[in-house]
Amino acid sequence: MKLAAILTVLASLALAQRAPSALPKVKFTDVKLDNGLRVLISEDHYAPVYAICVAYKVGSKDERPGRTGFAHLFEHMMFKGSENVGVGEMDFLIYTNGGSSNGTTNTDRTSYFETLPKNQLDLGLYLEADRMRGLVINQENLENQRQAVKEERRQSNDNQAYGQTSEKLEEMIYDAFPYHHSVIGSMADLDAATVDDVKQFFRIYYAPNNAVLALVGDLDTQATIAKVKKYFGNIPAQTPPKAVDYTEPPKTGERRASITDPLARLARIDIAYRFGPGSEDDARALSVAASILAGGGGGFGGRGGGGGAGNISRLYQLLVQDKEIASNVSARADRRQGPGFFHITVTLRPGKTPEEAEALVSEEIARLHSAPVTQKELDRAHISLMRAAESRLTALSRAQALADAAAVYNDPERVNNEIQKSLAVSAADIQKAARDQLINANKVVLITQPGAQGGRGRRGGGN
Amino acid sequence: MKSTTSLFLLPIALLAQDSGQSFRGMVRLNRAPVSNEVLKVRLPRPVEKQLGNGIRLLVLEDHRAPIISLTIQIPSSPLRDPAGMPGVAEATAALMMSGTAARNQRQIAEALADIGATVGFSAGAGGGGGRGGGGGGAAGAGTGAITVSALTEHFDEALALMTDVLLHPAFPAEEFQRWKDRQRSAIEQARTSPTGLGTELLMKVLYPNDARQFTRLTAESLNKITRESLVEHYKKYYTPAGSLAGIVGDISARDAAATLDKALAEWKGAPVEKISLPITAPIAERKVWLISRPGSVQTDLVLANRAIDRTNPDYIACLVMNQVLGSGPAARLFRIIREEKGYTYGVSSSFSATRYLQHFSSSMLVRTEVTEPALTDLLKEFKEIRDVPVPREELDGAKRTLAANFALGLENPSAVLARWLQQREFGLPEDYWDTYSEKVAAITAADVARVAKKYVPYDNVQIIAVGDGDKIREVLKKFGPVQEVSVE
Repeated sequence: MKLAAILTVLASLALAQRAPSALPKVKFTDVKLDNGLRVLISEDHYAPVYAICVAYKVGSKDERPGRTGFAHLFEHMMFKGSENVGVGEMDFLIYTNGGSSNGTTNTDRTSYFETLPKNQLDLGLYLEADRMRGLVINQENLENQRQAVKEERRQSNDNQAYGQTSEKLEEMIYDAFPYHHSVIGSMADLDAATVDDVKQFFRIYYAPNNAVLALVGDLDTQATIAKVKKYFGNIPAQTPPKAVDYTEPPKTGERRASITDPLARLARIDIAYRFGPGSEDDARALSVAASILAGGGGGFGGRGGGGGAGNISRLYQLLVQDKEIASNVSARADRRQGPGFFHITVTLRPGKTPEEAEALVSEEIARLHSAPVTQKELDRAHISLMRAAESRLTALSRAQALADAAAVYNDPERVNNEIQKSLAVSAADIQKAARDQLINANKVVLITQPGAQGGRGRRGGGN
Repeated sequence: MKSTTSLFLLPIALLAQDSGQSFRGMVRLNRAPVSNEVLKVRLPRPVEKQLGNGIRLLVLEDHRAPIISLTIQIPSSPLRDPAGMPGVAEATAALMMSGTAARNQRQIAEALADIGATVGFSAGAGGGGGRGGGGGGAAGAGTGAITVSALTEHFDEALALMTDVLLHPAFPAEEFQRWKDRQRSAIEQARTSPTGLGTELLMKVLYPNDARQFTRLTAESLNKITRESLVEHYKKYYTPAGSLAGIVGDISARDAAATLDKALAEWKGAPVEKISLPITAPIAERKVWLISRPGSVQTDLVLANRAIDRTNPDYIACLVMNQVLGSGPAARLFRIIREEKGYTYGVSSSFSATRYLQHFSSSMLVRTEVTEPALTDLLKEFKEIRDVPVPREELDGAKRTLAANFALGLENPSAVLARWLQQREFGLPEDYWDTYSEKVAAITAADVARVAKKYVPYDNVQIIAVGDGDKIREVLKKFGPVQEVSVE
């Protein structure tokens, strides 16, 4: 006890010395070219590098029935060469000049990004402009990438424990097509994609007026704008794609299903609540609530034996620590351009049932309805938001955040405002959001049981 | 005091200009503008301070965000686990935060949550290096670590909490029992991962005689480990003398040293003897190891053998050779096995070269039906780099990649600090990173051919396969004698 007292004194002395933390604001210039390309530039001279991110306003939400997985398959095609860049040449040029590159697709947008030394600004701009202007689309490239994507699907879904769970869950949450299907898509639809589909998709969605270009790093804003005009300025605009209709038929009751997963060894329960239309403020409040329910790390399933701080979130304390029925819990608010959802996952310990877990989770949801979260809980959620600054230190992370905010929400200032708004979420906001959104009419429950074979390795000979 | 930066030139000046020739798996049109300007880059050097308790502290300032992060290496390591008891170091680290003389687990967790800080104790990699990781950073060095990360205004508080835990851990019997119960589910859960199973088997094959074979706690050792094993491990290996520490972020070197000297004044102890494990020759005979996973739609393949440790003089030649062969999307394995053949979503190769790990490995997940052609073609690439000189263009590209990538690393002070910690850890020369580009530039095609022949396994390759046994057993026999291994 004596030691603790001394430590407290030391701590308060130190507290007086160091200034309160403030989050650095991302400053940027926002211009639009004549062809509709939105360009965001943020200078940062810390290191002699820059990041470029091109986000296209197209994701799996834009796919049509029979062509699920197409937006992501298309992303792969963007690495197979363009009018002035040969197959494999882009990666070679980027990597051998010290850079790195990748692409990513989600429900709402597809983005492409590179980090390069600052003297290679022309190179990065040229490569991105060339594939926006004239992609090489042929049967050979399509077949080739179809295989890579199908392999990606096997690796991340079909060959993983719980790989089918998230796909099934989204099917149950959404009735309307845009979010009813997964980003990775079905094998049958991937097989059905044709060269004409690729060409049409490119023309409609990969136009400058449907894209955002973000540049962050050791750059001069005016000189960079001039270069952007030089490389992108003459790419013609196209008729804008029609807006996606997210309208969901009203949900009238809880939905439940149970699946068997031969690769899983522990039962798992997923509980989700779809947000109603126009629920942006509720979604934000519930993302703070998620941190109070299950923030701070989720579980202990990982390897390597890290001894981190215990998790004091409500669900972790209840399910993992006190009742000892779960090995892992998580909660998050999935926020998107259209209606998102709140998602709780509980992985059970051997011999424990999903029903026990669900009853306890329901009590915690009811508690969010009936009483405000405590000030202490709110303060802790806020301070963990302040730590978000850590994830923003690289030029690439800021370029991606700016491009995403502009492409998905048409609001690049969101990179600064969203954190401030989250810090302003009150206990009353959370209670209101829980009452409006976390209700049985919005609820989906999916139970994943280990399969009969349990995924156990066959006992073979030897060793 | 040392200068805090050293100037070096991006290697374009040191390497031949790119003449734009195409080679396997690539078509070059040479129309994109490439700058040949020589960039002058300043590589930040950390300031070094000696702390009162024997710790050498490296400090790298970065005031872009109000965050300070500290890492202290400690001698604790899974490689020091008593024979037959893998998991003691892991358990000790996991239980450190479960209570002190003054606070219980919940109080510690709440105090940290109140200030948004993280404190962690980890046992280190041990045999966990597995695949990947080309010897970067200190993680593979086999040492444990203490980490503290907090907003600037709360750093001292977080440090005080960590110190309380470090000096007065209680290892409460009840928490230990709960941890054991949870581990039973965690061990079960880990069995579902094909890559996890493959890595476990890889380490058993390559390091059969010592603690390196274990990547984690086992079900048997869980029954044997007692609270006393933890207390003993803690007393022996949670000591500061001779340890290295690094601090990066919103703090000056002077302030960092003073703060740590004060906070850690009571933490004392003599240096601990270094771990001594043999560096042994590659396995001589080719062999296939199979774990059957019924229902698997893919085969996880790892091709490996023992190679070099971090101090081997061939290290840089191996890095260059591997850059040509299997590191990143511009390398042969990605271009040919993934892009041209379409067998897999990802394929790569790397050297796990640390003080204790000494192997080369290449891995990929392929759909069950193409297990045979994928293996055949991967081995063909091994043979190619062993037998056919690498074209000049391709070699220069690989060298530029390694050296120029250095500039990007400057963005991330933690990565820069990790390089300097590595230099200290392995006793590399003071100017090691200053002359790194020159060392890379000096590697010739003959060097690459020599190390490929020596370290990329072909006749003696060890093939680890995790997949549906009934579908791939016969196929695998074409590649060598198959030994089947069961998973409990």
